[in-house]
Amino acid sequence: MKKIILCLTICSVLVANDIDFNAALTANYGDSYDFYSYSENRLDLNFFYNDLQGWVQYEYSNPPDVGFPINDIRKFRIEYTLDDFTIKFGDIYEFWGRGLVLNQFDDQITNYDNGTRGLFVGYSNGPLSASHLNGNSNVWLFGSDLRKPYYNNSHNMSGNQIQYEWKSLSLGLTQIQSNEVHQKLFGDDAYVNHKMKGIYGSWLATNIDLFIEYVDKISTEKTDFFQEVAHDSLKKGHGIYGNLNLYLGSWGLSTEYKRYAFDKSHSDFTADDYGNRIELQMMPTLGKEQNSTLLGRVSHNYNFNDERGVQVELNGSLFNRFSVSAQYSHLSRNKDWKSLNPLDWVDKSLDTYLPSSNPSALPYWENYEEISGFILGDNLYFKLGHGSNQEVFKTMRYFDGTQISTIFTESWVKDTTDFYGNMVIDSTMTIDTSFSDPFEVVAKMWQVAKSFTIPMELNYTFDNGYNFGVGFQYQERTKKNISKGNAISYSNSDSSWILINPENPDSSFETHDTQFSLNGEKVNTQYNRMIYVTLSKAPRWSFTITQDWANAFDGPTTVDPYYNPLEALIFGDLKYFTGDRNPTDPPPFIQKKWVSAELAYNLTSSQRISIMYGSIQGGLFCSNGICRLIAPFNDGIKFSYSAIF
Amino acid sequence: MRKYLFTLLFLSKSVMFATDSDLGSKIPDLKLKLLNGQKITIHELLKDGPLMIDFWATWCKPCKKVMKYLDQYHQDYADQGFKVLMINQDTPRSLGKVKSYIRSQNHQFFVGLDPNQKIAQKLNGMVMPTLILIDKGGEIKWRHQGFIPGEEIEIEKQIKLILESQASES
Repeated sequence: MKKIILCLTICSVLVANDIDFNAALTANYGDSYDFYSYSENRLDLNFFYNDLQGWVQYEYSNPPDVGFPINDIRKFRIEYTLDDFTIKFGDIYEFWGRGLVLNQFDDQITNYDNGTRGLFVGYSNGPLSASHLNGNSNVWLFGSDLRKPYYNNSHNMSGNQIQYEWKSLSLGLTQIQSNEVHQKLFGDDAYVNHKMKGIYGSWLATNIDLFIEYVDKISTEKTDFFQEVAHDSLKKGHGIYGNLNLYLGSWGLSTEYKRYAFDKSHSDFTADDYGNRIELQMMPTLGKEQNSTLLGRVSHNYNFNDERGVQVELNGSLFNRFSVSAQYSHLSRNKDWKSLNPLDWVDKSLDTYLPSSNPSALPYWENYEEISGFILGDNLYFKLGHGSNQEVFKTMRYFDGTQISTIFTESWVKDTTDFYGNMVIDSTMTIDTSFSDPFEVVAKMWQVAKSFTIPMELNYTFDNGYNFGVGFQYQERTKKNISKGNAISYSNSDSSWILINPENPDSSFETHDTQFSLNGEKVNTQYNRMIYVTLSKAPRWSFTITQDWANAFDGPTTVDPYYNPLEALIFGDLKYFTGDRNPTDPPPFIQKKWVSAELAYNLTSSQRISIMYGSIQGGLFCSNGICRLIAPFNDGIKFSYSAIF
Repeated sequence: MRKYLFTLLFLSKSVMFATDSDLGSKIPDLKLKLLNGQKITIHELLKDGPLMIDFWATWCKPCKKVMKYLDQYHQDYADQGFKVLMINQDTPRSLGKVKSYIRSQNHQFFVGLDPNQKIAQKLNGMVMPTLILIDKGGEIKWRHQGFIPGEEIEIEKQIKLILESQASES
């Protein structure tokens, strides 16, 4: 059926004269020494015929970089507009307010696709607009495999939105209902019903604008065996987002506030924590969208279920030449937590609407400053930045309170007993139970990471069209487990924390245990450096060599399995070229370094081809608030081609 | 082996297909919302003269480099009806900072919002930056993906070409 749709679409586009169309083609291929291979080919075809629009995306990928192999129509949509009405059928991506209720997109890099296959009806007339959406959203999420998703949650959803605009004000109401089949960690799927109601408003003025959105959510679960009748209430929650911007001359100040409380936990949420925020909700994160590789690797993993925060960003220009920006954000969970014992945690509401700095609320701070601009007759572009962040990843124990010890005092009492007329001397043990004075117990342990990063870039354009660029990024990072207090373990039989020195409850300790290591040896600070050199000639080609270093890892030490000629060339190792090296037994000096070279060439103004050879370090990649761990790519080749026509 | 053959076939077809001579299709009359809240269509922006569309985001480094030149061309050729429309693709993650950035740079071009890439997908602007040059009649005359410093010369050349052809027609 899908192939018939594709054939009909292509034939009609090619045959009909009055159909306008455009298309985009991307082909990506990669193959590495350690079997990281992929082949992805995608064709997007849009056509426009009077009031009718259509889109078909065909994909042949086996295997793709991430996701499942496919040789089929991946996406399609037909849109018809008649006066004030629009009807869409197929794969639909909508965005209401700032996404607290609905924000749909298809992100190929993180493999996050929360679009709805179904029907959309929209009405728009002057200040009034309304829309209805219903269909199925099938969302895949990653488990332990870095390339193939594991968890599947499907939503049979319907939603409505109405928006009215009056002068510089606008007001919107949103509503969504979804029946979800939720895949759990273990066991049968859960059947959950979600209901959301939202409201948003905005005000735009000359030097100020404001946006506020609120959503209220409730979920219920079918708990009976036959899943026919109802339902115990599962979870209730809400989300708030506000954005106030102020402008003065060539300066703009953006302030944001969020509080997402769809669930609560002192630790990470798993697939067994369901009934909370659903995948259709993709909300503002209040973190900097970084464009430097090293800063991207230390991104915060945002929590849409339980997180609040503030962000302030100042953008301006100096002397009408240089761009300046400074950003600060502080996020945390919505509650402070206390571990009564290692398994039993209780929460405490925060006193203010602001985020907490208490380690038990898993706080995160970041700031980033940057200056960039053109100098030397606009021939030299420069960028200099500074970013730092601090994050509490997890708390293993967090108790701070008073405790009373039970004191058992044994005493022996001499006694005489008349034993058939004989007086027998005996002794009896008595145990007196008393309680100590209350004393302070502190048993805390959490994991914290800190980093600072300096990205810089220089690009000089010569009058003959050549351009030479150098970029350098430097990063220092610590990650450690901090333990402090006067107790480190808990006695379940006594239901109390065990003091490290029972004789002296006041004696306390603090230890910092680094999580970085190299070949089993502890390393206090991880140093990451990245340098890239680019030579390009506009508008045809650009050639870039990149080298990435690390001195330690927060997991097993990575091993470069193969010594490739590019590495030998970069490190000036003549022995490689005289045949005195064994490529499958790389020398130590190429370890902990990743070198790659990439040539990009514009075949025409709308066709681009690029070839990369070498190695790329894996790590965290985040986009749209979704983070994905990318596996390393060792000693291989990547090829990509893109065209729009 | 099949996958390599398919890739090769795909490429050879497309290289033949995607020559610049294939340009000339009409731009659809898509609706969009500008940064100042105004709603407009692409054809309305074409009323006075040619239009250059560029897709960008606040976190896109090459986009920011080319923006400086596009704003300059928007102002330099405004008297001939030329306009630049920058379609922003920031997601809610950074949407709140778009206006602040534009105001701070004092850019004069039109800025449209496309937070879930509806317009980008219809105009194949998913790669950033993607430049599309359209003549007054709505015909796409030039497309370009990416930005290498120095390409601003080629961009201005294409704008001048379209303006000259418009002047000779009138």
